[in-house]
Amino acid sequence: MTAQPDASPPAPVDVSLGIGKLVVPSLIGGLVALTLGIYGRLHHPTGVVENLAGFTSAGYAKSWLATIATVFAIVQVSSALVMYGKIPRVTAPSWIGSLHKWSGRIAFLLAVPVAVDCLYGLGFQTYSTRVLLHSVFGCLFFGAFSVKMLILPKRGLPGWTLPVAGAAVFTLLVAIWFTSAFWFFSTFGLHR
Amino acid sequence: MPLPDRPIFGCEWNRNRLDCVLLGMKLNMPLVTLLAGLALGVGVLIVSMLGPSSAASASGYGATSTASATGAVKPAPASSASGGGASAAAPATTPASTPATTPASTPATTSTTAPAITSTTAPATAPGTVPAATASVPTADIPPKADYVARTNSGGGAVAISVHAGKAVAYMCNGHAVAAWLKGTAKAGKLELTGKNGARLDVSYRTGKATGSIMADGTKYSFSAPLVHRGSSGHRPPGLYEATATVHGVKIKAGWVVLPGGGQVGSVEYFADSDVAPTAQAPVLNLTTGTAQYDGVTLVASLISGLTGSGF
Repeated sequence: MTAQPDASPPAPVDVSLGIGKLVVPSLIGGLVALTLGIYGRLHHPTGVVENLAGFTSAGYAKSWLATIATVFAIVQVSSALVMYGKIPRVTAPSWIGSLHKWSGRIAFLLAVPVAVDCLYGLGFQTYSTRVLLHSVFGCLFFGAFSVKMLILPKRGLPGWTLPVAGAAVFTLLVAIWFTSAFWFFSTFGLHR
Repeated sequence: MPLPDRPIFGCEWNRNRLDCVLLGMKLNMPLVTLLAGLALGVGVLIVSMLGPSSAASASGYGATSTASATGAVKPAPASSASGGGASAAAPATTPASTPATTPASTPATTSTTAPAITSTTAPATAPGTVPAATASVPTADIPPKADYVARTNSGGGAVAISVHAGKAVAYMCNGHAVAAWLKGTAKAGKLELTGKNGARLDVSYRTGKATGSIMADGTKYSFSAPLVHRGSSGHRPPGLYEATATVHGVKIKAGWVVLPGGGQVGSVEYFADSDVAPTAQAPVLNLTTGTAQYDGVTLVASLISGLTGSGF
């Protein structure tokens, strides 16, 4: 809602019209999240993923991928703060947009194989609070990310939409990381 | 080689940004990102789907589990055991904007469906791995007939040990991807149990309690397990339960540790005879009927009890 003039999201011309443009992306995002969750629930998990090289090795591979993705996500949100002029005494360098985009792309593409492994091998599970939260957050993340990608090119949206979408995506990713990789590392150690 | 004015597809840097063009139209890069993720996900999924059927028992899973996670290589389908249908190393078609996602170092190619297990499938910390390790208990006398069950101290698993007339069985699972069966003897107060993939048991016996650790899939789980006393009600007593069945042509073996108080932890192994059996969460064992429903098949669980000798 307080986008600086130099920030990329344009000022809303007609707010009601702008919000209307959110409907289809939001529906698609919801569909993405639901599809993932339903697939994870219906598909019988093979367990293969974590058994590939023993519980720990595959778990470590996934945990580290997720951790690297989270680091890129932190770069993403930091660069967004710079772009929006939210960091005092820091002016956005010319390459900040590229940093923002590429950190996001890398984070997303790192998260995809981890998510597929989780959904295919383990499924949407509910047997503990951590696992339930992780399953829900995981599905929501890809829904929220889809929404953000779909509204990015749209013009005339209210200024708060992108920050809100970005914050949701980032928060979900960190929550996913805490309920998986952080738990995994704190249970089994950083490496073995 | 795209023409300069109307490239079919191309990307170029423009004032610090990447612009891609397809058939002369400027592409919506966020959408390209989404579709790249979708393509990557589908690729990984396909590799995963092909993987278990052909390679679950035929190994090929290298130390980096990301061999399947990165989708760099497609293993040959299981059905192509006929000559030549080997390793189709087709790189997944991830767009150029996926720099960090292709560290697949060990291709999961399988040239045959024969269950040729390689030792790389075992966890890295268990040197020598696949050959079973043995464990022994130097002190104290294990009772000739006893059952122990407990949750492990970490990892959300549970362990069961049953001893009967010189024989012993131990099982550990985490209701998830970890399951290990150990079998062996109980002689002169010592348990000598062996299991697949470096599974080992170190236990010391104290009055009414077995304390120690069990190594399963490369992870050590410690436990302190009290003796199981016979249950009273019509429910199945706490203890170790197993069931085997063939589901969709795949031999599965389920194991449950039923705890005092009714809690249970169960895992099910697929391709149960293979050295590296893919493992997942077991269906809930109904403690009234002693059965569980698995993909429309009724699993009938039998109790492995040192007290009564059933299952030995």
